Amino acid sequence: MIAAGVVLMLSFCLAPFFFMIVTSLSKNPEFLSPAADYQFTLQNYSSVIFKESLHFIDYLRNSIIVSGVAAVAGVLTASIAAFAIARFELPGKMLVLFFALAVSMFPQISIVGYLFKFMTWMGWINSYFALIFPYVAWVLPLSLWILTSYFSQIPKELDRAAYVDGCSRLKVLTRVIMPVAMPAILSTVLLAFIFAFNEFMFALILTSDHHARTVPVGIALFQGLHGEIPWGDIMAASAVTTLPVVILTIIFQRRIIAGLTRGAVKG
Amino acid sequence: MNRIFSKDILRSYFFLLPFAVFIIAFILIPVVGAVINSLYKDVTFREREFLLFDNYISLFKDSGFWQSLRFSMLFILVSVPFELILGLIFALLLNQIRRFRGLIWAAVLIPWAIPSAISARTWELIYNYNYGLANYLLSGIGITGEPINWLGTNVGAFISVVIADAWKTAPFITIILLAGLQGIPENLHRQSRVDGANFLQGFQKITLPLLKPVIVVALLFRTIDALRVFDVIYVLTGGGPGGATTSLSIFGYNYYINGDFGYGSTISVVLFAVAFGLSILYVKLSRFEAGLR
Repeated sequence: MIAAGVVLMLSFCLAPFFFMIVTSLSKNPEFLSPAADYQFTLQNYSSVIFKESLHFIDYLRNSIIVSGVAAVAGVLTASIAAFAIARFELPGKMLVLFFALAVSMFPQISIVGYLFKFMTWMGWINSYFALIFPYVAWVLPLSLWILTSYFSQIPKELDRAAYVDGCSRLKVLTRVIMPVAMPAILSTVLLAFIFAFNEFMFALILTSDHHARTVPVGIALFQGLHGEIPWGDIMAASAVTTLPVVILTIIFQRRIIAGLTRGAVKG
Repeated sequence: MNRIFSKDILRSYFFLLPFAVFIIAFILIPVVGAVINSLYKDVTFREREFLLFDNYISLFKDSGFWQSLRFSMLFILVSVPFELILGLIFALLLNQIRRFRGLIWAAVLIPWAIPSAISARTWELIYNYNYGLANYLLSGIGITGEPINWLGTNVGAFISVVIADAWKTAPFITIILLAGLQGIPENLHRQSRVDGANFLQGFQKITLPLLKPVIVVALLFRTIDALRVFDVIYVLTGGGPGGATTSLSIFGYNYYINGDFGYGSTISVVLFAVAFGLSILYVKLSRFEAGLR
């Protein structure tokens, strides 16, 4: 019974993903209708990768740059704060943690209207800046929670030895805590990257074309020239985008679960 | 020892400064900005005009607002329990697995990791009337003679959105619940089996009560997420047909995109107030849990 349950569960989780791959490799996206048949082709992949007018590669590059920069900057910022919360006697530090938790639950729609005005005023609309700054703020609460939890588990004797050697607090963070916690920090970067990479509403409103538009928005707005939906291209673009994510998920499954659990349950 | 750590509290706060700057500049000020904007008539290329609460009065008389509020409430009431049950079943299954554990866990994580706008596009094709997978499978099993118009009817669109959203979010609930399950000592189960309890009794008497705190966490997390749902609906139905799946976020977005920042802000402030109320409740509950530990 368990085996049957697992099979059902896996089919539900993987079916849309397989359907995406199968359609992306088909000449006719309508192959399930009786009128068409399945013909294998790589045409869709070559068109999304090489046809510049589709701008898919631009979207992918934008996504990777914006999410990468935001994830690294966010996790660095969060580690400084997490160090203070895990180690110093700060009155109200629990308040900071719970406040961060509340912030992570704000609806994006209540932030994005003002952000649009602000970014227009700065002249940053449709540039990387328009996304990187909000994304850093967006990944901070989660990163803070995960890192505070990790840092608290590092034995305090390590810091003490460094303080006795005359290290400043910033040095203790960069020379002692961060090297020890490097695996945890890297997995937090990965989680923050996935969070930023998946973000949709900010990117939809704060960018307008391939100069800054990210992959999720690009794929969501993919339209054919004559109003007919180019399913083959869309599925190929989706597959190219999700395959690396899937591979990362398989490799770092344990760390992702540990990170998410720390971020959510330890509250 | 404590003196080293408490001697310079003010300077300690500087470590929180970069964090605070980002949160204040890109989250808090925008929220306050939305509150201020909601008091104005603020439409692109028109004179800004102070209205005080007129936007809110209009909002409460706006049938579109009530329609999207009703949709959002219905969406929460249907999708959150559905996702919770799905996540619970997944977690119980995963907890039993010994072989291929890493791969199977990863497979369950995949829907969570794929950007929802992208997977929603695949769901759009799955729901296609003529050649989508959904109608193909249903007619294959022989459940329906006629293909179902998934995205073109009110009920169909609602079910489509709920299923696509559940697919995306069940893994998250699974992981939270799994952490809770693994915290339950194995000998409790063993003991209950020795006492002659079957699986269902053990689940009811041991698993469920011990899992309750984690379930509450997952429930609130998901309720807030369902309240602000946007990506999946934007891609799948765009809020249609005829506004039937317009969530509050979609409703507000439609005003922003037409340049009406005053009214758009009013909608988002109301949504914010509800979400904030729920998150305070959540923080209170999790603090209570933290205190118990």
